[in-house]
Amino acid sequence: MTFKDQFKFVRQNLKKNKSRLFMTVLATAIGVAFLIVLASVGFGLHKSLISDMMQNQLVTQVEIYGKEDSQGLKNEDITYFEEMDGVEAVTRRNELAQMPFFQLDDYTSNTNAIVTHFPSEIKADFKLASGRLPEGENEVVVGYHFTESLIKNGANPEKLYDDEGNINEDYVYTDDLLNKEMDMEVIKLTDGKETKKTISVKIVGIAEKPARDWAYEEHVFISEEILQEVEQFTGVMRGASEMYEGGELDANQSEEVYDYVKVYANNVQEVEGINKALEDKGYMIYSIANEMKQINVIFLIMKIGLIFIGTIALIIASIGIYNTMTMAVTERAPDIGIMKAIGAHPRTIKNIFLLESTYIGLLGAIFGTIVAYGISFLVNLCVPFIIQTAFDEAAPEGFLLSYIPWSLTLISVGICLLVTVFSGLRPAKRATKVDVLKAMRREL
Amino acid sequence: MIEVNKIYHSFEIGKKEKKTVIPVLKDVSFQINKGEIVSIVGKSGSGKSTLLNIISGFIKPTDGEVKINNQTVTELSEGEFASFRLQHIGFIFQNFQLIPSMTAFQNVELPLTFKGMNEKERKQKTLETLERVGLAEFKDHYPSELSGGQQQRVSIARALVVNPPLILADEPTGSLDSDTEKSLLAFIKQLNEELGITFLIITHDEEVAEFGHRTIEIVDGHVLEEVGK
Repeated sequence: MTFKDQFKFVRQNLKKNKSRLFMTVLATAIGVAFLIVLASVGFGLHKSLISDMMQNQLVTQVEIYGKEDSQGLKNEDITYFEEMDGVEAVTRRNELAQMPFFQLDDYTSNTNAIVTHFPSEIKADFKLASGRLPEGENEVVVGYHFTESLIKNGANPEKLYDDEGNINEDYVYTDDLLNKEMDMEVIKLTDGKETKKTISVKIVGIAEKPARDWAYEEHVFISEEILQEVEQFTGVMRGASEMYEGGELDANQSEEVYDYVKVYANNVQEVEGINKALEDKGYMIYSIANEMKQINVIFLIMKIGLIFIGTIALIIASIGIYNTMTMAVTERAPDIGIMKAIGAHPRTIKNIFLLESTYIGLLGAIFGTIVAYGISFLVNLCVPFIIQTAFDEAAPEGFLLSYIPWSLTLISVGICLLVTVFSGLRPAKRATKVDVLKAMRREL
Repeated sequence: MIEVNKIYHSFEIGKKEKKTVIPVLKDVSFQINKGEIVSIVGKSGSGKSTLLNIISGFIKPTDGEVKINNQTVTELSEGEFASFRLQHIGFIFQNFQLIPSMTAFQNVELPLTFKGMNEKERKQKTLETLERVGLAEFKDHYPSELSGGQQQRVSIARALVVNPPLILADEPTGSLDSDTEKSLLAFIKQLNEELGITFLIITHDEEVAEFGHRTIEIVDGHVLEEVGK
């Protein structure tokens, strides 16, 4: 008997008792929907947490703090990083060890000054909102929020901020920054005595707005030459205003040492390999990917637990299928007897009943999946509203309580089919054992 | 065609210690040649139906063997016998044994479906067979919508559709009136003459018994006598 004929036969049989079929499919659909919706909470929370983490930090980024038994990260280290497989860019920054005052017209900003290697920054996706990269030694690029750090000279400290904590409109710098000259003022403390030095710089570029909404970039990118000029003035490494132990400028130290080094991988898949290679070499690193790995393990266990609990619902539904199939075998025993008498192979009989339970399982899985997607959609629609109402606070951006990936659908449908086939096995085997003579005498 | 060699069969009734063995068939042997119509007669409880069930493979004999077309069928497994039946044996039952939820056409088509024949060929063959038994116009009727004679013809069509060399009939006229019985017997004769089909008919009806080429009488589980014409 061909599969197509078996299938037609099964459909014909199922039509005989539509209400029983409906109830069995309904029970299976509820089981599948419960399994999917339950597990989708694990998937949803995992996804929300990961996307939140990815918003805070780049997954492809690996921060390198230094190397064991080494004084700092040098050019040879940078070259090694750059030559590693899967590395897209290696950014290195040094920071001026004091916060200089920047005077622009009638406004002052007290912010960080950073020296960076622009070609590698651009490879790591650094972009300018306007202007160009610095060419001369006195040219600088400012962060996107630099304007917000500029405060009008002589502003009344009590009226500096409005009720919402923003700088009072009257004190905000509103003019264009590009091509403006400003003075960078650094200090030097010798025995408690303060000496000032002013260096004139020109803003040639403004960095693009950071991708993350919360990120606030008001620093100024200065040139290597300006940093050296400050170092010469204070006589301390990185231009710190006061001498500290080990801060002496070493005239013989020709090699550059970097404060902040970040490695960017080509893609997320490369990060693990890069992390391992760096750790093996003795570098001290921090990567969000490492943290994510642990979170993934925890959520994997949680998802397995939820799927397991959901499967119990399906097992309960399978009792219904078992019952339906057993009744079908009993009711159809005379027909089975006739079929066997005229030459139906026991295997064919078994296949027909197995196909029937699988068909019920498949119908349940399809309807259950549709219902689960509907519930998931509604939950995600309602939860932000509930959070808003109950806590008077907006739900985190992109928050999903329930998320159904394809893998979950496939797993659930797979479990459903497995359970239904299993519950149909015994009735199907019973059908093959039907005694022809008894069946034909209607004695069953 | 059929060789029945030293068949013994007994039933066990009761449980454990109180078990009683009742012998039904004792040393039954006979042969049926190709193209014959043979009737097996006997009183109720003589063992004739048990004999037919052993030949059909529905029960295994306690001892002895049955050969059909030189194949020792008593050695076959349930599945193998089912396949063998599908290829070599057609059945006509006293109560027709049609599946009530299927139309006449679907009932006749069923053995061909089990054979795995393609749909187009199957439909054509089924229709031809229904035409042969004169029921083409009733093909969409359910068994409950047909008379006893018509149902038996559907049953014959179902037996014929796979072109079996042998048809086993268990009291084929048992549920029919005398007119219908006559026409059915005539039809069996016609099939035997035209298609060379061997018929083994179990009956207690003398008229049916005399209609065949040969009669085998079973008395108390023995073959009492074989009467040829």
